[in-house]
Order: sequence, then C-alpha cells, then structure tokens
Amino acid sequence: MAEDLVLDTAIRDWVLVPLSVVMVLIGILRYFVGKLMRSFQTPDEESQGRVRSPIGQKSHIKSPVLRICGSPVCGLIKIFLDGRQLILRARNLRAAGGFIPGKSFRSRRFYYTNEENGLLFVPKGQAQNPQAQMFSDPNMAMDMMKKNLSMIIPQSLTFAWVNFFSLWFCGSKNTLPIDSKVQINAAKWDRLEHRRSMDDTQRMMQMSGFGVDPTQNLSAEKDGLDIIQHEWILPKMEQRAAEVLQKLVK
Amino acid sequence: MVGAAEEAQLNRLESQVDNGGGGAWEYLCLVRKLKARRSEKVLLHGLSILNNPKDRSRLGGEEWTLYEQVAIAAMDCQKIDVAKECVAALSQKFPGSLRVSRLEGMLLEAKGEWADAEKAYTCLLEENPLDQVIHKRKVAMAKAQGNPSAAVEYLNKYLSTFMADHDAWRELAEIYVGLQMYKQAAFCYEELILCQPAIPPYHLAYADVLYTMGGLENLQTAKKYYASTISLTGGKNTRALYGICLTTVAINQLTKGRNKEEKESPELQFLAPAALLKDYKQRAPEKLPLLTSMLKNMKIIS
Repeated sequence: MAEDLVLDTAIRDWVLVPLSVVMVLIGILRYFVGKLMRSFQTPDEESQGRVRSPIGQKSHIKSPVLRICGSPVCGLIKIFLDGRQLILRARNLRAAGGFIPGKSFRSRRFYYTNEENGLLFVPKGQAQNPQAQMFSDPNMAMDMMKKNLSMIIPQSLTFAWVNFFSLWFCGSKNTLPIDSKVQINAAKWDRLEHRRSMDDTQRMMQMSGFGVDPTQNLSAEKDGLDIIQHEWILPKMEQRAAEVLQKLVK
Repeated sequence: MVGAAEEAQLNRLESQVDNGGGGAWEYLCLVRKLKARRSEKVLLHGLSILNNPKDRSRLGGEEWTLYEQVAIAAMDCQKIDVAKECVAALSQKFPGSLRVSRLEGMLLEAKGEWADAEKAYTCLLEENPLDQVIHKRKVAMAKAQGNPSAAVEYLNKYLSTFMADHDAWRELAEIYVGLQMYKQAAFCYEELILCQPAIPPYHLAYADVLYTMGGLENLQTAKKYYASTISLTGGKNTRALYGICLTTVAINQLTKGRNKEEKESPELQFLAPAALLKDYKQRAPEKLPLLTSMLKNMKIIS
C-alpha cells in the first residue's frame, strides 16, 4: 500500500522543481511588466478627470456641487465624482451626529438626503451603466487592454512551454505511467494558474471602478442617514463634566 | 498640530544642533515630519549641509528633498536669492516637474508678485485641477494679500470637492471668526466636531462662537459645549471653566424675572468657579485675589 503513490525522483528533479521555479519567476516578471505598463493616475478622485471627455465640460465645477444639481449633467457628475469624500463626510455625520445640536443635524441631513437636490440623492434612471462609461472613454478601454495583455501573453507562453516540456520528457523516457502523471501535473498547474489570473482580472475590474456602481454607495449612505435617530449626547457630557469637577474640587 | 512630546524632542534636537552636537539632518527630518515652522533654523542648518559637498553627497537621493525644504524656509525668511538658487537646482534636476513648478509659484509669491503667482497657479490648476496643494496656496495667497473674503471663496470652492479635509474646515472657521461671520464659523466648527468628535479644542471654539453670538438658546448650547470640553480634558482647561462662569452669568441675566422652570445641572455653575479657584491657588497664588474679586463682581461667588 505504501508504495503505490511514490513520485519518481527523476520527475521531482526534472519536472516539479523546475516547473515551480519557472512559475514563480513568471509571476515576478509579470508583476514588473504590469508595473511598467500601468499608466499614471491622479491619486484622488481620478474619475473626475474623466468627467471632461464625455460631457465636454471642463472639470472646473463651480462652487458647491449642489448648485449644478438639477441639471441633467448633475447626476453624471455626482456619479463620476466618485463621492469618496462625500461618503466620508456623510459617514461622519452618521457616526458623530450626536455631538452636534439637533437643529444642525437635521439641516445637514436634509442637505444630504432631500429628494430634490440632496448630495446623496441619485435620481432614478441616472445611474449610468459602466459599460457605456467604459466605451465613452478610450483611456479606460486602453487600460483594460493593457491589463489583459499582461495576463494573456505570459499565460499562453507558459502553456506552450509546459506542453512542450511534458512531451519532451515523455519522449525521452518513454514510460507511460509517468507520462500521464506529468500531464496531470501540468494540467493542474495550468488550471490553477488560469484561475488565479481570472481572479486578478476580476479584482482589477473592481479596482478600476467599473463593475461596482458608485451610485449604490451613495444610496446606501443616504438610507443609513435617513433611518438614524438623532440623540444629542451633550447633556450627558454636562453631567460627566460635573462629576469630573466634583472629583477635582474635592 | 504638534504634540507635546514631539515638540520636546524637537526642542532637544534643536539645542543639540545649535550647540554643535551634530544631528542636523535628523533635526531637519523631524521638522519636516512634524511640519513645524522653524524656517530660520532650517535655513541655517540646511544650508550648511548643502554647502558642504561631502555632507550633501552622503544624503543620496534625499538631497533634493533638502533642497526643497531649504527653498521653502528661505522664502519664509525672505532670502529670495537662496530660494532662487535652490529652485533652480531642482528645476535643472527635474525639468517639467509639478512639484518644482509649485515651488516656482511660491517663489513668485515670496517676491510679492501676486499677479504672476496667480497666473502660474491657474496654469497649473488647468493641467491638474485636483492638486490640493495648489488650491491651498491660492487660499494662502489671498490671505497674505489681506483679502479674507477671497480666501473664503477659494476655500469654499476647495471644500466643495475635498469635503473631508478637516484642516481646510478649520482654516475656514478661523477666517469666518476673523470676519465676524459667526453663523458660518459655527457651521465649520460643527463640521470639525463631526469629523473628530473627541478633540476638545473644537468643542471649545464652537462654544466660544456660540457665546459670542449670544441669545438664550445659543448661550445654553455654548454652556453645554464648555461642559463637554471640561469632560474631555478632565477639567484641566481654564478657558472652558471661565466659559461656564460667563455663560452662567449671561443666562441668569437673560432669564431674570422669568420663572426658571428647568435648570439643567445646577451644580456645574458652582463647581466651575470652585475648580478655577483651586487651580489658581495651586499654580498662581499671587493672581488669586484678582480672580476672587472678579468672580465676586460677577456675583458667582459670595
């Protein structure tokens, strides 16, 4: 029983080890190639730069974003604006709303969530599908192609190489059982490799911003703000202050 | 803002460098890290490194960071020629760099050529509309020209995009206070409190603004924020203690004659003067009579 699944040392030395080494090396190589090909991106709110081309408007958005809301452009800009900063600010309001007086809280909430021109309010039908956004901007498609290219080329190369390798090995030794094992091995490697690169592509899709709908974030934040109750915690702080002072004076 | 421990470390390092103990580069790094404004020292020690080829080459790539730091310090000290040399060295090394272009704009600013600087910044912004530093430079420039309302306008524009930048909110709040636009200032302080609810100076400043605005409701709110400052600082903040005393007096004056149906936390108005008196007794006994007579005048203590 113990003998039935022993790996030939020759396979280990001539197939498994070199294959592993080469895979690792290819991974490293691909990383650097990807780094080289990555185009420069502005650090924050990169998507605002993209606003320019589709709408044909300079992204010198005049003063509060609010003012342009209501125009058809507004929805687009709001989506493109990425809203990261906006969401952060709204989240602060949700988390620390108890620290400001009720009146201030309510006026802020109205500012964010009212259904006319609230910052977080996305009118229905304004949600733009990411595909259209992608095709309207050649840069985006280009980025995508570059990423795919850096995936596909090394992958096909490794595939060809593994194929050749296993053939060569079988040819020289001419032992059938080993042959099938090697092929299984190679196929496994390849499948693994393939799956990983698929994951990478998907992750990159998400990272580059399409694939997730930015309006969803805004609406989620809006719903969160809508349902919370404002409870001013300052009276509690006042009591605590009294306790603190009592201790201090004693 | 620099913490007390970091400032002590900075001071220690500064005196060590001043007395020829070495460590100039470490000092400069610390100044940069803490964003402290010690331009004269930076200029002195930075230049001595830059003028010594051996020291300079030891820095390697950091040499250019030092050039930048010294350039800014020189502008601050109005040593325009030094700044010019540094910027020239940088632009030779990094032609077309945005960071160097910013420095060139700042150089124009330092010379007082506002129109040219404005033009340079506008140019840079057209290429790169999301450059936070340039937006802030424009605000600073408006302030330097003594034009706070323009600064307010720029800041508002900046904040409509970068609305989570609390430093900008603080700047705006301070400008509004300077312009006596308290309602707007209060809004900014609320924003700051939302952003960092556990930082006592924001509570204190908000309370100050509310107290200045006056009116019963504002005064009551102000008292609450003075109280929250006290509870956040553990009663160590003298200004907040005074704030409690003053708001108490003001509220009493406003509600005089009316029946005081609900009086929140009556103990606070006795505790605050007591805490003040104790603090003065411990730390400045010679000023105690002054305080006592003032509190007596305010009819807080008898």
